[in-house]
Amino acid sequence: MRTTRKRALALTAGIAGIALVATGCSSGSDDEGGDDAGSGDSDEKITLTISTFNEWGYEPLLEQYMDENPSITIEHNKFGTSNEARDQFNTSLAAGSGLADVVGIEIDWMTEVMQYSDQFTDLASDSVEGRWQDWKVGQATTPDGKLVGYGTDIGPEGIAYRSDLFAAAGLPTDRAEVAELFGGEDATWDDFFAVGEQFAAASEVPFYDSGAAVYQGMVNQLEAAYETPGTDEVIATENADVKDIYDTIMAHTELSAGLQQWGEDWNNSFQTDGFAVMLAPSWMLGVIEGQAEGVEGWDIADVFPGGGGNWGGSFLTVPAQSKYPEEAKALADWLTAPEQQLVAFQTSGNFPSQVEAQESEEIKAITNEFFNDAPIGEIFATRAAAVTVAPYKGANYFPINDAMAQAINRVEVDGTDDATSSWDKWVAEVEAIG
Amino acid sequence: MSTTPSIPVIAQTAGRGAARSAARRRHQASGAGSDRKPGRLTYVLMSVVLLASAYPLYFALQLASSTSADIAQNPIPPLLPGSHLFENIGRVLAADIDLWQAMFNSLLVSGATALSVVMFATLAGYSFAKLRFRGRGPLLVFVIGTMAVPTQLGVVPLFIVMRELNLVGSLWAVILPGMVTAFGVFWMTQYLEGALPYELIEAARVDGASMIRTFWHVALPAARPAAAMLGLFTFIASWTNFFWPSIVLGTTNPTLPVALQLLQAGFFKDMALIMAGVIVSVIPLIALFAVAGRHLVAGIMQGAVKG
Amino acid sequence: MATQTAPTRARPASDPSRSPRRVGFSQRLGKWDVKLSPYLYISPFFIIFAITGLFPLIYTGWVSLHDWDLLGGQGDFVGFENFTQVLGQAYFWKALRNTISIFLWSSVPQVIAAIVIAAMLDANLRAKTFWRMGVLLPYVVAPVAVALVFSKMFADDSGLINTVLENIGLSPVGWHSEAMPAHVAIATMVNFRWTGYNTLIFLAAMQAIPRDLYEAAVIDGASRWRQFISITIPMLRPTIIFVVLTSTIGGLQIYDEPRMYDQMGQGGNDRQWLTVTLYLYELGWRNTNLGRAAAVAWLLFMIIVVFAVANYLITRRIASDSAPKQRRVAGRNPR
Repeated sequence: MRTTRKRALALTAGIAGIALVATGCSSGSDDEGGDDAGSGDSDEKITLTISTFNEWGYEPLLEQYMDENPSITIEHNKFGTSNEARDQFNTSLAAGSGLADVVGIEIDWMTEVMQYSDQFTDLASDSVEGRWQDWKVGQATTPDGKLVGYGTDIGPEGIAYRSDLFAAAGLPTDRAEVAELFGGEDATWDDFFAVGEQFAAASEVPFYDSGAAVYQGMVNQLEAAYETPGTDEVIATENADVKDIYDTIMAHTELSAGLQQWGEDWNNSFQTDGFAVMLAPSWMLGVIEGQAEGVEGWDIADVFPGGGGNWGGSFLTVPAQSKYPEEAKALADWLTAPEQQLVAFQTSGNFPSQVEAQESEEIKAITNEFFNDAPIGEIFATRAAAVTVAPYKGANYFPINDAMAQAINRVEVDGTDDATSSWDKWVAEVEAIG
Repeated sequence: MSTTPSIPVIAQTAGRGAARSAARRRHQASGAGSDRKPGRLTYVLMSVVLLASAYPLYFALQLASSTSADIAQNPIPPLLPGSHLFENIGRVLAADIDLWQAMFNSLLVSGATALSVVMFATLAGYSFAKLRFRGRGPLLVFVIGTMAVPTQLGVVPLFIVMRELNLVGSLWAVILPGMVTAFGVFWMTQYLEGALPYELIEAARVDGASMIRTFWHVALPAARPAAAMLGLFTFIASWTNFFWPSIVLGTTNPTLPVALQLLQAGFFKDMALIMAGVIVSVIPLIALFAVAGRHLVAGIMQGAVKG
Repeated sequence: MATQTAPTRARPASDPSRSPRRVGFSQRLGKWDVKLSPYLYISPFFIIFAITGLFPLIYTGWVSLHDWDLLGGQGDFVGFENFTQVLGQAYFWKALRNTISIFLWSSVPQVIAAIVIAAMLDANLRAKTFWRMGVLLPYVVAPVAVALVFSKMFADDSGLINTVLENIGLSPVGWHSEAMPAHVAIATMVNFRWTGYNTLIFLAAMQAIPRDLYEAAVIDGASRWRQFISITIPMLRPTIIFVVLTSTIGGLQIYDEPRMYDQMGQGGNDRQWLTVTLYLYELGWRNTNLGRAAAVAWLLFMIIVVFAVANYLITRRIASDSAPKQRRVAGRNPR
């Protein structure tokens, strides 16, 4: 008897050490999950988590929300890129846990997410009626009418340029003149590349940063680039428009700096006069400003080739996993209200998707010092109004589009392929996906 | 799943085996050590080697003490570190990715893993080395055999299992598979075979001590030097582990390597900030190295035989 | 190695399992204690290893025979379709090529460098511990951190290394754009971290070589180099085999460094540095196809086994070919 007890004691002692440490970790992870209490009386202190990516300008807003709602603590989990956020989203959704209470999702993988709409809380409510344009709401609504996400921002595109490099090449520098140079309201992609030739003739600096980025601008003007709306049948490789765009990019590689967007060398090139022009969705302004810190001469022109263009834009969703769906929904509602998105726009350049915000007087008054005091509110409002196409992005949009960026980079950045062989590789990849 | 340690852990045995023979043969050899006098060239070459093993860390320091704009403009960083180190470290600690949390997580995971590996390996090693039981031989062979098995390849089912247990995202998911290593068992078996005389065990038993009491009071103290070494190596292996934590932990509750990866994955890449993160992540282990480095060297070379 | 301590073992006289009986400690409980304790002590290892190591490995086979979606879970039994699918993908073969190439670039130079450095350390250097600790320093740096530092150094346009190359009049290398240089860069990270570690292993082995062998060689008039080739290398044979084997098992699973070599973590636009484990991750967690990921895991497992065996045979061959003295040496060496 004595011996067994001793043994048990000793074993317990041994394991206690581990258990002790272990208790520490479980409490650590609990904090993250924010479930330090049962579900919700309104007075009870709760912790909500929200995950976003890149830069959404939410910091001051979340502070404000916590001030106004003392019972709520918010933890903000920010992913570097949309790709990263998507990877994590998949894993957590698979795990059935680990998603934040409010999850930010980008339009490029929104359709993918819509397949699992039963894993999300229906966000439909009177308070958000008419908040967005129909096309934005449509992207987040299931066929049976469930609203999965609240629109946050959209990415209307303008042309960001280095006025100093333009001046050196003998081109106009004033943003209105530059807009005209690119063709003004009737700007076409031909105009864009023609200006490129003109610039290249007079300057050593490459014209634009990356062919893949220009491709983004062009492909977002197609109604259905890769998949048939409704059936989601993959048509990417047969779509003549896609091939045309690809060929156009390939025909102008000499205008490109041959940098891989987001890559190490791309980052550096902002500091070393790596290129003169960049197609810039509103949210890109924050990125440029960050990378080009201390560089003078950036400006933005109110013009975009081929009609308006939209790149990116996101939604806030509330996964069914959330322990506090009501509170999470309230937070998402509040964040995506016009007033708040206006603040976000000022903070990070994410252009609001809310009709009221877009038409507001406040937005017209917003300028950006870094871009030579450009009236970015007004510019992007015009740019948003010029967007006529809401491209269809099906369940496989993201991987197909990602593979295309790589296809262009193979030729432009790496030089491992020529235009033809890289296209063939892309086709093979798409076939493997579909 | 023992994941990354496969190299250090098993390679150790070679060092240990070799060292054992070294220890044994030192008596046979006419004189200890080499009589050859190293030439100046040897010192020069060794200095180059040392420079190569230290420079990458210094490079991180050079960048971490600079600004991103400077880094972009000067691919070759200035020889002396800049003046922005503490500013950058402050920024990275205040960044969206919570490095404090990550460091805390890493400490917990590595500490718990090391403790548990040492505990279970000592128990099993004692049993294999000093106790008699049916199946001992084949079981030990099995243990040795599994040292070479790339258990990392079981990630897919392991993830499915962790999901069933609702542990995805929890530190437990990283700790559990690391709680035992075949190498640890082998290591402790080897050590205890030589370091624990039967007479001691027998004496305890004669005094009426139970088996576990004997283990606790006799085997455990004798195992201490090897256990410390095993703990040290397990701690480092766990601290530097990335593959499995990156899959199962995700970003809400990262360990340091996972947090570093997140730092790099941003659209907006602030090199000075990233390198400051590298410095922060490296400091704890460099400190450990400063304190226990000679033991690490000894551990690899002598397998802690002489502890 | 397991037999090396045998002489100290003197088991028959002092076998603990018998000692209790001898001193008349014969209560039931005591007997059970003696009988069960050994199993009890080894059971945590076997239980945990079975659950977290062995079972997943075997269950991988089961998963690989099914449609198995990360989000959707287990689907239909599909036989070997996942395997044929994977084997039909150009990326798989590319990944395999890259993995092997990176492995060669890391293991071969590493073993050579480690032996050479060990030989230098084996000379009577002053401040021994300093040098030994110095070479081991990189070992405590996590591969992720190593990769962050080196991928910056190896940046194509803005990296330290290409800038230095250009400054001394050489043309820059496409460290990220071309496959082979990318493999070299990634192998450099591996070598950075592990060379010192292996150096110490070789050093220990060298110090185990009886010095009288060298003395005899000196009397025979053998040069330093000759001694190194004819005595040191053959005597290191078991250690070389060990280091190569372990670096095979670890090296073929390489993931951290290639994952971190650029910020997208996909192995490059043309998958210049996609490795098999990276491909496994991509299939399972990016494309949410666990079935195919499991198939890749099994394939890699098989490849590792083949490589381990082949390496064993080759290394044994190389290390044993030379030196008539070797047999004499081996005669003295119980190993």
